[in-house]
Amino acid sequence: MSDLSDLLKAPDASLETKDDFFAINELYMEKGWGDGLPLIPPTEARVAAMLEYCDRPWNEPVGKVAPRYGEATPLRLAANAVMAGCKPEYFPLIVLAVEVMCDEAFNLYGLQATTHPCAPLVIVNGPGVKELGMNSGHNAFGPGTHSNATIGRAIRLILLNVGGAIPGLGDMATFGGPNKYSYCVAENEAGNPWEPLHVERGFPREATCVTVVGAECPHNVNDHESISGVGILTTIAGTLISTGSNDIYYPDAMPLVVMGPEHAATVANDGISKKDAKKFIAEHSTIPLGTFSKENIERRFRTAFASVYKNAGMDAPVPMIHNPDNLLIAVIGGAGKHSAIIPTFGATKAVTRALKRKDGQYARGMKDMRRA
Amino acid sequence: MSELRKRGLVTAVICTDPFLKLGKAQSRVFGTPDLPLIVIPHPLGGISLEKVEGRAEVAIPEFVNLIKEHTK
Repeated sequence: MSDLSDLLKAPDASLETKDDFFAINELYMEKGWGDGLPLIPPTEARVAAMLEYCDRPWNEPVGKVAPRYGEATPLRLAANAVMAGCKPEYFPLIVLAVEVMCDEAFNLYGLQATTHPCAPLVIVNGPGVKELGMNSGHNAFGPGTHSNATIGRAIRLILLNVGGAIPGLGDMATFGGPNKYSYCVAENEAGNPWEPLHVERGFPREATCVTVVGAECPHNVNDHESISGVGILTTIAGTLISTGSNDIYYPDAMPLVVMGPEHAATVANDGISKKDAKKFIAEHSTIPLGTFSKENIERRFRTAFASVYKNAGMDAPVPMIHNPDNLLIAVIGGAGKHSAIIPTFGATKAVTRALKRKDGQYARGMKDMRRA
Repeated sequence: MSELRKRGLVTAVICTDPFLKLGKAQSRVFGTPDLPLIVIPHPLGGISLEKVEGRAEVAIPEFVNLIKEHTK
């Protein structure tokens, strides 16, 4: 493993500036680096501290970040993690999240370059959530928690600075969204009456996992009246119905339903499994073809999906969820009678991976990921 | 498209003007900086089919020239 000072001797690996926070930030803005917010200067000492939590070669890419296909070396990732304000112990999760996002199934190129307002949503499960003090409860998607905020911001800085998702150049989002600043959350496993998301997706409960979803911002589901599981699920299904969702047009789309723990408890207490909840939501979130605009019916449904809709009547049901098994459900949040739906880019698959040590075993904690 | 060009096939990317910078950047990323980009007026979505045909009329002569140059 090369020493950091050696790696920094490579051309353009580092630059000398005046040792002044504001001057450094001004320079970064001039160069077009960053998310527009002040950045922590990635000094050699700070980057070195971050890299202490990386037991792999610091100059070997863990992936290539679209659309620039910039090499995601731990060194570059560490510099971005410092700039985002991360603590060094967060770094293993950031490296894992980047690896996961570079999985072909996720279609990072599409997500980054599209006009659609999607961003990689990072959902963390397992013991790493507690270890890093991540928020899975009240305001979990909102501000106020250092690990959620800075891990999510580090991901965004990597997408910008390594991936080249520069507005109007590599990121063609018509207007983007606040999800593109920081979008990282933990599942409330204690409040989840079913198996946690990572367990459902094939990992042991004791594994720390990252799931990425190519996601829009959350859209709220308010239901203060339903006292039955069917009632809650009916309201969720009704909120999913929308004629403007990308997910309609992608049969393999994997939209996400975030259930607040109180809603989840109401559903589970009625003996409804997660699988049955998905099935119910899918069956009750269809929309009559005639709800769509005439042009969409003629130019999209009757042509691109002619095998189903060529001669379909205006009352033919159009599913928002094509395959119930593709619907993701996570339990997130604190007290309150709210859930959320999170539509996706559509042409993307959610991907989950676990934090593993060099020897292939599941990491028991972030210390397992430290440099030997 | 870059892969096809590397294999010697006649290739071009047709894009609307706001996507020209992205197209140029991607051509460089994929190692084909000379990949022809045929630019048509924006938008392509949300217009009548007649206007879509109009966009094709802009692109076709450029594409024909491209084939001629390639087969010289």
